[in-house]
Amino acid sequence: MISLRYIPLILKQLYRRPARSGLTLLGVATAMFLYYAVQAMHEGVQAATEANAEDTTLVVYRENRYCPFTSRLPEDYGRRIANLPGVESVIPMQIVVNNCRASLDVVTFRGVPPEDFQSGMMKDLSITEGSLSDWKRRGDGALVGNRLAERRGLKIGDRINLGGITVTVAAIITSPHPQDQNVAYTHLEFIQRSAGNADGVVTQFNVKIQDPGELDAVAASIDDLFREAQQPTTTWSEKAFTARAASDLVEIVGFARLVGWGALVAVFALVANAIILSVQERVKEHAVLQTLGFHNGLLAKLIVAEGVFVSLAGGVLGLAASAAVLSLGTYSFSVEGLSVNLEAGAVTVVAGLLTSCVIGVLAGLFPAWQASRQEIAACFRAV
Amino acid sequence: MAFIECRNLTRTYTRGTNAITPLDDLDLDIEEGMFLSLMGPSGSGKTTLLNLIAGIDRPTSGSLTIDGHNIANSSKSELAAWRSEYIGYIFQLYNLVPVLTAYENVELPLLLHGLTRKERHRKVSAALDLVGIADRHDHYPRQLSGGQEQRVAIARAIVTDPRIIVADEPTGDLDKSSARAILDLMQSINRDLGRTLIMVTHDPHAAEWAQKTLHLEKGRLVEQDVPQSTTAGAT
Ligand SMILES: Nc1ncnc2c1ncn2[C@@H]1O[C@H](COP(=O)(O)OP(=O)(O)O)[C@@H](O)[C@H]1O
Ligand SMILES: [Mg+2]
Repeated sequence: MISLRYIPLILKQLYRRPARSGLTLLGVATAMFLYYAVQAMHEGVQAATEANAEDTTLVVYRENRYCPFTSRLPEDYGRRIANLPGVESVIPMQIVVNNCRASLDVVTFRGVPPEDFQSGMMKDLSITEGSLSDWKRRGDGALVGNRLAERRGLKIGDRINLGGITVTVAAIITSPHPQDQNVAYTHLEFIQRSAGNADGVVTQFNVKIQDPGELDAVAASIDDLFREAQQPTTTWSEKAFTARAASDLVEIVGFARLVGWGALVAVFALVANAIILSVQERVKEHAVLQTLGFHNGLLAKLIVAEGVFVSLAGGVLGLAASAAVLSLGTYSFSVEGLSVNLEAGAVTVVAGLLTSCVIGVLAGLFPAWQASRQEIAACFRAV
Repeated sequence: MAFIECRNLTRTYTRGTNAITPLDDLDLDIEEGMFLSLMGPSGSGKTTLLNLIAGIDRPTSGSLTIDGHNIANSSKSELAAWRSEYIGYIFQLYNLVPVLTAYENVELPLLLHGLTRKERHRKVSAALDLVGIADRHDHYPRQLSGGQEQRVAIARAIVTDPRIIVADEPTGDLDKSSARAILDLMQSINRDLGRTLIMVTHDPHAAEWAQKTLHLEKGRLVEQDVPQSTTAGAT
């Protein structure tokens, strides 16, 4: 590392060309902004789709249907599923999405029977504002996920029209699951009526099972039960269901990450160019430093440190801006009624800072090497 | 043994198939504490000799012994450390770092010496005082006149208290009165601090300030040891 007493020298060198250093810094900031945003998408998809051994939720869907608009199952399947061995609870659910476009602000309604919901799904949820009993009492009440509430600025008692359906915010919920953070839970009957669906028809069933090891076996027995029925089913684990729905998103995110890496390479070139230019115009000055006794290694470190300073400052700026924008916006992607949060963790921030440092070091290496192998006397001669 | 001893000192530059030998088989002794001036026509090898003594260039052959060690055999990094202890270099065009103030320029060589900020402050202030430019310590080089810049450069050269100070045409770019002031300053550094001072100059008047003047021509000494008065105030 480099002694602190050289830092003013390094900063003054960078300030010598404020426009060049500033633009370089801005370039790094832009790339890091992009990097963080792309990484946030990637992590959001991972969080929504990564299976874990404790998963006990199955989703029963109409066979060969992949969209909440086309999956229609008779509500009374629920009772038959509940009787199967290994099943703990069943919640029929009607899903309505206010917007079919790919958007960062899609509102998804999930209509559920209030009693079943309380006994089955409340386990992982907690109410931060309002009350569950209010929601149960009000026919048009909605339990709103915290991210959705933040994004839309919703408060208890607000009457809001979301995509043609008017609900009253009865409570705000938090949950570790991205799905719960971005939906509005309403009474099943209410949403069936509002969406113009026939009574007795639902989109899907969410089935809690007793033993996580039985996930596949119970899924198979549900599908067996309705194999000959008019409306056959396909049962997925919740995470597999989300992963399938999000598979397009996975591809897009994969591509976006390539773009992100490309931006980092471009920024490396930008920083390297800036340092090379500034070293070239300081050939004589470096010869002076060497004459004073600065040895080659120290000179090289000073130059590399210039790269690191610009790059790291840009990285801090870009990451901070990106994290601020994403957390203020509480964005989430939505596909087929499923939500993917745009949110990255501390690891991403640290990795971004490290990447900035590495870019700075790599960008400084070549000019540092060039400067340190020059012949001092020859530099004074070549004016 | 003399403080600085050159034996068969030769420096050859090859550029492609051309070989130039600006310093050819030179023998020279310089005693410690001497104020020596080097004169000679352009291209006669003055700067080359100065650079060899200052350890920023290395001889092609021959030996160069300073204070008992032959620096011709030192590695680049050994030379760098050696320079920071032994050499103060004064350039014709000052070569101050433009983004640093006078104070910071003088502080630069001290950064290598592992001193505290306070110790550095004491030494820098003393050096700036000595060259008579303490009131300009926070000025940048572009805010100073040539003579003032050269004073700062001299302060930078003496701040580490080196045994040898070399100056390559230090008054070459200055008007008469500034030049005289700089020469006066250099003479007092030699006299009062006892530092060995080797100055290259074109100007016979400037050379008169030295105790001794050597003449170089085509890489060889043409005339040796013409004693001069040490108090000559002529210009
Ligand atoms: N690094 C170098 N490469 C090639 N030629 C050089 C180099 N340094 C000096 N010379 C040549 O050596 C000769 C003497 O140069 P120098 O010592 O600077 O002379 P002076 O200082 O007496 O004017 C000149 O012809 C110069 O071109
Ligand atoms: Mg010269």
